[in-house]
Amino acid sequence: MAEDLPVDQRGDLLVELAGITKSYGPVKSLRGVDLTLRRGEVLGLVGDNGAGKSTLMKVLAGAVQHDDGEIRVHGKPVRFSTPADAQAEKIGIVYQDLALCDTLDVASNLFLGREPKRGPFIDRKAMHEQAARILADLHVKVTSTHQEIGTLSGGQRQTVAIARAVSFAPDVLILDEPTAALAVAEVESVLRLIGEVAAQGVGVILITHRLQDLFRVCDRITVMYEGQSVDDAAIADLDIEKLVGLITRTPQPTRTQPTRTEGSRA
Amino acid sequence: MSTTQTPTEPAPAPSVQRLARQRSLWERTNKATVVMAGVTLVVFVFFAVADSAFLTFANLSNLATQVGPVLIVGVAMTFVITAGQIDLSVGSIVAFVAAISAQLLVAGWDSSLVMVAALLMGLGWGLVNGWFTAYQGIPAFIVTLATLSVVRGLALFQTEGFSVPIASTTFVAKLGTAKWLGFSVTAWIALAVVVVGLVLLHATRFGQYVIGIGAAAESVRRAGVNVKLVTMAALGFSGLAAGLAGLLIAARLGSGSANSAQGFELTVIAAVVLGGTSLLGGRGTIVGTLIGALLTQIIANGLTLLSVSPYLTPIITGTVLVLVVWINLRGRDLAWFVQRLTRRS
Repeated sequence: MAEDLPVDQRGDLLVELAGITKSYGPVKSLRGVDLTLRRGEVLGLVGDNGAGKSTLMKVLAGAVQHDDGEIRVHGKPVRFSTPADAQAEKIGIVYQDLALCDTLDVASNLFLGREPKRGPFIDRKAMHEQAARILADLHVKVTSTHQEIGTLSGGQRQTVAIARAVSFAPDVLILDEPTAALAVAEVESVLRLIGEVAAQGVGVILITHRLQDLFRVCDRITVMYEGQSVDDAAIADLDIEKLVGLITRTPQPTRTQPTRTEGSRA
Repeated sequence: MSTTQTPTEPAPAPSVQRLARQRSLWERTNKATVVMAGVTLVVFVFFAVADSAFLTFANLSNLATQVGPVLIVGVAMTFVITAGQIDLSVGSIVAFVAAISAQLLVAGWDSSLVMVAALLMGLGWGLVNGWFTAYQGIPAFIVTLATLSVVRGLALFQTEGFSVPIASTTFVAKLGTAKWLGFSVTAWIALAVVVVGLVLLHATRFGQYVIGIGAAAESVRRAGVNVKLVTMAALGFSGLAAGLAGLLIAARLGSGSANSAQGFELTVIAAVVLGGTSLLGGRGTIVGTLIGALLTQIIANGLTLLSVSPYLTPIITGTVLVLVVWINLRGRDLAWFVQRLTRRS
């Protein structure tokens, strides 16, 4: 099984970012970012506020255009001018505000903009069946696909939003703060979902401020500091003090050089 | 997992079927609409008991004709309000189309051409509203407040305030008096519009996006839907419906007047909101609009039969509107309250 090999030898690099820069006028948001993502891997992207995490992810999702540097997807250099370009390369993103409609039901939200049709009409039966299958596959906990989104808890909404992104069959899924402001039990269900998505072979990039979440689901961490990627470490080599040190750039008796990961935490 | 005995195709997991199962009818119904249906029934029974002339076929047929224009425009207004917009100009469009259609008939246009022109005029004004709202980002409230003034102003300017008679020999005039199975053409067309509205709102992508836009336009936009086009279409639809209503009113009255349909937009909006469509957008019901339109017209019709002072009608209608919108807004609390009562006991 390929999973038994060290990650580097599998040759399944999904995304490589090299020397990405982005300036807004005189403000240099990104000053040279390197990042790699492999199939089936959960990569934690951490850094203090203003480190450029969100800008970098917007670049990867096609919402923002970078100035310099190279994006390679499956080894092929690409350049995204719109979010649709990124979607065509099977890169999906779930923004913090989730982009759901409160008064529509779960199935309608999952299929918003691509409802199955029979003639000129929406095929609601097929839509609900497909939605139920997607949700059951990911073990998303909702009572019914007919439930209105507005009646769901924050965690359920988050999992529906992730399920929606997953239903586009992405190779890369970017999650921006998916566990912020959730109850403890709900954080668990979102983290479990992230693990299941990765197990399907999707490369997941997780942006979060909840460091304990990183240790739960991530294989590897990329640390950003003032617009640069400064560290890249396997989660197995870190503990929470070391990680805080990497983020805040306070001297620690550990590595200072970016290291390539040796193996996945599985 | 490969050692299952059944050689047949694995059926979808029971959890999948359970997830996709339709909710009960009661769970699906808009509670505000149910309340309104009850109120309408009570009002209906009250007038039936209070005046023997109310529950006659002639009066019910007359009632259906009165409800017609309100219902036609109300169905379209349901889409506009569900999308989180408003159209204040429908009364002015009705008057404009009624007056100009009458003038065109006087000018010798054939009835068929006039009917097409009436619909196009209505649609045109609706698209003007829609373009300024959707593509220029001006709130629909402001845009349609402006067209309310401009459109009626143009009709008044054109007719100099005179009512324009329609010759009874024209097809349009005959349409106004024609009946089928005892009900007027207006009533039948209104019924057809209700059916079209039901299908459009609940069974098509357009309806789905209208609801979505009312709830969270940005979410729908990110899903790749042309939100501006859908918004403009909704307002175009209400203009078209107002054009149709204007033609039917002129046909029934045998004349077109720039002063007709004063306050019509308020009656229509009242009917839509009474029915349970949310003024905040994101929630709409065509059946509710049907009930709301019936209620407003039953009150007007019944009070007239009882020879109540005509000045009292707007007072009563307005009071009912406030009461019902109050229930509508408090509906959730009310449902919660009822639930708690039933659970405790």
